[in-house]
Amino acid sequence: MSIGGIGAVLATGRAPAYAQQRTLHWVRWSDFVPASDALLKGQITKECQKALGINLQLETINANDIQARVTSAIQSGNGPDIILGLNNWPQLYTASLADMTDVAEEIGQAQGGYYPISKQVATAGTKWIGVPWAVGGGLVAYRKSWFEAIGYPEFPDTWEKLQDAGKKLKAKGTPVGQALSHSFGDPPGFWYPWLWSFGGKEVAADGKTVALNSKETLESVKAAVPFWNDACDPGGLSWDDTSNNRAFLSGTIACTNNGASIYIEAKRKPDTYQTENGTPMYKDIRHAALPKGPGGQYNLPGPFTDMVMAYSKNQAAAKEFLKWIHSKPVFEEWFTSQQGYTDGATKYWEGDKVWSADPVLAPFKKVPAQGRLTGYAGPPDRAAAEVQTKYIIIDMYAKAVQGMKPEDAVNWATGELKSIYGV
Amino acid sequence: MSQVSIFSSSGAYSSAWRRGSITRVLEDQRWFGLLLLTPTLILLGLFTAYPFIKGIELAVTNTTVGVPGHFVGIHNFVVLWHDDIFRMAVWNTCFYTAVATTVKLALGLWLALLLNRNFRGKAMMRAAILLPFIIPTVLSTFAWKWMFDPTFSVINYVLLHLHLITIADRINWLGVPWLAMTSIIIVNVWRGVPFFAISLLAGLQTINPELQEAAAIDGARAWQRFRHITWPLLLPVTMVIMLFSVIQTFADFQIVYVLTGGGPANTTQLFATYAYQIGIGTGLLSQGAAISLAIFPILLLVVIVQLVYIRKTETA
Amino acid sequence: MIEGPRWRRSVFFHVPLTVFVIFLLFPFYWMLVTSIRPDRELYKPWSSPLYQPFWTLHPTFEHIHDLLTETLFSTWMLNTMIISIAATAISLFCGLLAGYALSRLKFPFAGSIGTGIFVTYLVPQTLLFIPLSNIIRNFHIGDTPWALILTYPTFLVPFCTWLLMGYFKSIPKELEECARIDGATRWKAMLYIVFPVALPGILSAGIFAFTLSWNEFIYALVFLSSPAEKTVSVGVTSDLVRGDVFYWGQLMAGALLGSVPVAIVYSFFVEHYVSGITGSVKG
Repeated sequence: MSIGGIGAVLATGRAPAYAQQRTLHWVRWSDFVPASDALLKGQITKECQKALGINLQLETINANDIQARVTSAIQSGNGPDIILGLNNWPQLYTASLADMTDVAEEIGQAQGGYYPISKQVATAGTKWIGVPWAVGGGLVAYRKSWFEAIGYPEFPDTWEKLQDAGKKLKAKGTPVGQALSHSFGDPPGFWYPWLWSFGGKEVAADGKTVALNSKETLESVKAAVPFWNDACDPGGLSWDDTSNNRAFLSGTIACTNNGASIYIEAKRKPDTYQTENGTPMYKDIRHAALPKGPGGQYNLPGPFTDMVMAYSKNQAAAKEFLKWIHSKPVFEEWFTSQQGYTDGATKYWEGDKVWSADPVLAPFKKVPAQGRLTGYAGPPDRAAAEVQTKYIIIDMYAKAVQGMKPEDAVNWATGELKSIYGV
Repeated sequence: MSQVSIFSSSGAYSSAWRRGSITRVLEDQRWFGLLLLTPTLILLGLFTAYPFIKGIELAVTNTTVGVPGHFVGIHNFVVLWHDDIFRMAVWNTCFYTAVATTVKLALGLWLALLLNRNFRGKAMMRAAILLPFIIPTVLSTFAWKWMFDPTFSVINYVLLHLHLITIADRINWLGVPWLAMTSIIIVNVWRGVPFFAISLLAGLQTINPELQEAAAIDGARAWQRFRHITWPLLLPVTMVIMLFSVIQTFADFQIVYVLTGGGPANTTQLFATYAYQIGIGTGLLSQGAAISLAIFPILLLVVIVQLVYIRKTETA
Repeated sequence: MIEGPRWRRSVFFHVPLTVFVIFLLFPFYWMLVTSIRPDRELYKPWSSPLYQPFWTLHPTFEHIHDLLTETLFSTWMLNTMIISIAATAISLFCGLLAGYALSRLKFPFAGSIGTGIFVTYLVPQTLLFIPLSNIIRNFHIGDTPWALILTYPTFLVPFCTWLLMGYFKSIPKELEECARIDGATRWKAMLYIVFPVALPGILSAGIFAFTLSWNEFIYALVFLSSPAEKTVSVGVTSDLVRGDVFYWGQLMAGALLGSVPVAIVYSFFVEHYVSGITGSVKG
């Protein structure tokens, strides 16, 4: 820099443009694995400053509050630059998201391609409206010793077997634990796969015709009632997403469909969470897939997508940041801290060493490939998101379990779906 | 009359102070009145009236998040009319408000009567019972959530040890529809009783004790004294308190948001929570606005009824 | 005033009072115990024989410590304090002037304006917050305390006005008339004569306004985004309710610390609050 240049800078008191700080405001959910948030706010933020010169402001909020922030940000035209969307939320805000096609395609190419479910939620037509971050998978966490004691050395692989096992366990005071309430994570994670495993579905493949009112759906509702009454903890009707974790860790339920957070937490504090024999509980925890029904075996993963907001003035920085954080060495750090709680959004991460670190968590690796999203058999679009947010499918089962005739419950749900899909 | 002497001695009267044009205007009741109202009118106009109009605008269009909509008339309201969940929310809100307000009034009155005596620690007691009203609702509701939790409920623990329930048929406070409604009413009552009690206590203290004594001498029993002396004199305060309580309870949001999310199966869904769920959760801003707007006529009706009643008792 | 033998007094006075006190204050005791209970004791189900809800033998201050060091709790307290005080000040200012005007002056449209102000109290927040976020954006006050300081009075002013109106009505008109005869302007009469007499009403309106501001949630959730700007309600719920991870200890500590200081201040003013309400509804 010439002397005149320095003088000019000193005179105006402003730093030259290329040294000006770029700031990026990123909003994420409060991770169910707290170590990952600590890593992002600490180590990764430092690395980001060094590598890109970007000051990363990471804000973590309760997942339930993310949508309120997104809405007010979009409506008022300012707010965070990048917001992490859960499930198919990006589909709700398509018009307000920036085009991420270049970034997403690049990452996908380099990492063996995205899972279909990740791509579905993050694209609108051929345009990418977000960059898939990861996929949260659910499996049934269960107490191995308790199932062995009632004659199931392997986790029951059909609903009948699980109902039988659950009945025996409930008699002992430790039933199956499943949420059937208005909470965004656990209830859909169980009840949509339940519906699919009987062959039921919400809409036909054309994405418009409501197909809920079918023999298969009715069967699934009829079967849910004795399953719930015989085998499940009735408290599930009022559980939020944390209740099953707490119930499992305090030894009041024998199994529950959940992410890996139960096991990870139990392992983190072996002295706090113990079995009735005084041994660390985490040694007794295993994971299995949701059982089969007459129509197949499914699960509902929870994709995470980074949405760059169209109102943001830092879109270029955001793109640079996303490319950087998804680069193999950087993402590896975060991925390792998750210890298997999430899968990567691309197939590359199936080969990561985190899966060999702990065999108990290895089953989570396969979850995204076998997953389906809400709105099946149509796309996971805005209408499907509305059905999910209004808990229509969940309430269909909740009503039946609380006494409504299965036919009426199905009819009610079908009516609701029809008004949402605009039929 | 010492206050008046300030002005006499300041010489404002005796000196020939000029009444400038501004002072003249200010002395005019009409201008002065309007001037005093100006800050309020600006504030409310800007931050309530204008958004209210915009809110109506939202409700008659089909706006979704980030996508401005176009005019659709009363379409949103028609959709709501046919919406099962909406009808349930209306019923729930009315039921919730009616029951909670009645219970708060009854308990508040009782507590006020109890506190209207001289006993040691009276002042501290009055301050202490205000605590439920002071603590931010969201936070205290979390404490209640923990107390109602099916796995960890301390209430169940107590009932178990009083041998009123067994472990097998424990009370699922938030999972059974009528119990869930009861639970949210309990929390609302818990939060509101202090307000009722303290306000009614204030009212009670204006009632001349001689009236009660005279009646007692005449042979009236406690209940009769209450009915014929205390209650009528308390009515003005009661009506005002009830009016504001009804308005607040009708628009209640935080308790249901934290405790049940509207479940199980929408049996605790209220206007405000449903409006929030639709507007924010599904991005259908117009429908959310329509739900919020739908509260307005019902609330207005309730308020008018109460205001008329207040007028009647005032002139009586 | 309960006559009769001692047992009657117990039954009709002591017992109900005790029950009320337990009902109203038990949750606070519960919060206190939870906030000093170590983690490993927190997660025992109520059916377990080891469940000890009412006390803990190993109290710990780690939750309170973590709350104050790992979260921005003290910042949130400060924010909430500033916002509540400022909103209360504005509301009292508007409410005093408006209440005086509506109750003691005659001017055209007084009745309709009074009703109009009251009607704004009925408009629900869930309707207003989306349009308001546009206004907030236009004034560039999003994510600052001003967004709340200017919007809270919308639901505080109507109540303050109504309360103070009632209070002013009970003050005899002679007071001002005497002052005006002696040459005071209306403004001076209002300020130096009427307002001091209405002090209990002002305090009571102020306390009520402060409580409502302290308590508010929806606007704070929607209009503020940076962690450093949050209020206690929003900050505690969004930072400490983290999915499956257990921060109940800190949550309860936050709940307690977020209310007890205010309660202490109240204890000084509650007598005024009580007489303030009285005065306001006499009219």
